[in-house]
Amino acid sequence: MKLSKQTINDVLVIVIENKEANLSKSEQFKEMMFKDIEDGSHNLVISFENVEYLDSSFLGALVAVLKKLLPLKGKLVLTHLNEDIRNLFELTRLDKIFSIESNIEISLQQF
Amino acid sequence: MKQSTPIKIGLKIPENPDDIQEYTKEVIHTLSRHVTLTEDNRRRIKLILIELVTNSIKHSEDPDAEIRLTINHPQLTIEKVDVGLQIKFRSDEQIPFEEINKTIKVDFTRFNSLNIKILNPYRFRFLDGYKENMDIEHLPEHFGFYIITRASDNFEYHHDPRSKENTFIVNVKL
Repeated sequence: MKLSKQTINDVLVIVIENKEANLSKSEQFKEMMFKDIEDGSHNLVISFENVEYLDSSFLGALVAVLKKLLPLKGKLVLTHLNEDIRNLFELTRLDKIFSIESNIEISLQQF
Repeated sequence: MKQSTPIKIGLKIPENPDDIQEYTKEVIHTLSRHVTLTEDNRRRIKLILIELVTNSIKHSEDPDAEIRLTINHPQLTIEKVDVGLQIKFRSDEQIPFEEINKTIKVDFTRFNSLNIKILNPYRFRFLDGYKENMDIEHLPEHFGFYIITRASDNFEYHHDPRSKENTFIVNVKL
């Protein structure tokens, strides 16, 4: 799982570098996110600008991250979802649960 | 010219999750040679294939697990077939079911409950049991079967106790 990270105004911006957000990467992704949260990052933006497809395992990992942030009153914004991934969120109605924005700049305004 | 008789295609499932995307493209390309797919159908079929194959890689121990496509216009049937143990729930009711035509809630894992309708002792249909305003704390963390249910027109599971064959049957209206 390849992630690039930078902190902007106390928000940890994570860019997923892999093309596939899938079964082979979801568990590692979850562990990496949990570590960042435990290290004190409670405001997160995750960019899918490089991701071509995402499966149910990765959706589950994202839900787990959201649940982890809940008691910490943290916030998670997802950004740069392509049409297929956006469609998946709408199909599963998770677009009503997750904050989704079109780009990182707009995402940062949510904090 | 598109054929009018049912067309059956069988394709072996990849073992590596990173091969799923290419596999899905190949299946859709194969389908497109026999039937015209709208963009909406293409998207739905892709989602269904991704989740069926992911499920197989995660849970099936059958190296000969297969995706079978049957095109019988206007319906496409996608089946994932493997040989092995039947599906098991964490809840009390298990296959073979005793009461038919009943709708029950079953737990696949801790954060994965779904409603199903029992069709016969060895067959059930997945139902869309979406709850409005579910709080984040109680959200499921497994979405594979739910995605297939939402993307298809009909999604069922069947176990054959004699052959030990497990079949997930997904119907999509073309």
